[in-house]
Amino acid sequence: MQVALINGSPKRHRSASGCILKYLQPLLEQEGHVTAAFSLGRPELAPQDAKGIGDCDALIFALPLYVDGLPSHLVSCLLQLEESLARSGGKMGVYAIVNCGFYEGHQARWALNILENWCHRAGLRWGYGIGLGAGGVLLSIENVPLGAGPTRNLAQALRQLASSVGQGFGGENVFTTMNMPKLIYKLAAEVGWCRSAKANGLKIRDLSLRRGS
Amino acid sequence: MRLVIHDLEPDCFKQLFPGQLGDLHIISPEAPIHHCLGCFGCWVKTPGACVIRDHYGDLGELFARCQEVLIISRCCYGGFSPFVKNVLDRSISYIHPFFVNKNGEMHHRRRYSNRARLEVWFYGDTTEQEKHTARGLVEANTINLWWEAAGVEFFQIPEEMEGRLPCKSL
Repeated sequence: MQVALINGSPKRHRSASGCILKYLQPLLEQEGHVTAAFSLGRPELAPQDAKGIGDCDALIFALPLYVDGLPSHLVSCLLQLEESLARSGGKMGVYAIVNCGFYEGHQARWALNILENWCHRAGLRWGYGIGLGAGGVLLSIENVPLGAGPTRNLAQALRQLASSVGQGFGGENVFTTMNMPKLIYKLAAEVGWCRSAKANGLKIRDLSLRRGS
Repeated sequence: MRLVIHDLEPDCFKQLFPGQLGDLHIISPEAPIHHCLGCFGCWVKTPGACVIRDHYGDLGELFARCQEVLIISRCCYGGFSPFVKNVLDRSISYIHPFFVNKNGEMHHRRRYSNRARLEVWFYGDTTEQEKHTARGLVEANTINLWWEAAGVEFFQIPEEMEGRLPCKSL
């Protein structure tokens, strides 16, 4: 089966969505699938991407949660894909992994619902989605092998997904979180913001700047 | 301040909002909008302002001055249209990068203290499932923006909104 791995992040390099797909790709290949990578990081869908995605048997999206939904550029791409896929008459299964900066994976539920609704409009078959919490940690542990340390829950969800794709399984969305305590995740994220601010020549108090007041 | 964010064609907007706009501030697709790059520069480089300096670079500051917000958007799969969603994506400087716990969930801390009332009017051919998604999405938005929900309504076409506009919130 040819599986499209669709990165919905606007970042060209070093995205959490890219990390997830990097973990997932070998699992799919172990199941005997061939993968094809696509990057939908801009609002304009390239004709070769539309064709390439239309030629696949299953689609797996990985994307960041943006303001409780999909990033705007991806909505734009989905509108264009709806047209091209409807023309091709494909009935491929669609799966998605939405990574949240928040700790709780279930905060991705409305983004997954939007993707499911897109499938219905495009005449595709929705498999299921994974809402991954604490996704902000992914880039800092990208060299950790899947299944080790904080990636244990992610490994379980991705192995299940790799197995489901070939069998065409659908089901309820899965919500999970990277394996680290909530307080540690919160502190690590906030230390990260402070370091970034300092690297940009700011003081920590500048993070709280109120414009116009 | 009262704010309207919409994705309507100019003629349609004029039909719905004839005459003087008074203190209404309008965000419309009148200028090209760049999509959010996920760089978080609006938090750690130029806190409170987007690093992309197009027509939509100061939305967070604008949100901070609002008491009432009306969003008019085509419903796309139960979510906002690309333009309206882009406006929301480009406005995260409105909130603070640090986290707080709220009702057992992690959310971003507030940067500003205003608490706007958010009303959303979706238009277009919308399924019941999409309406369910849209209501849930708007509720999640109000939680994350620290706003109050003032209602979600659905219209087949934008012209159905005519005559509804001098409503309680605008």
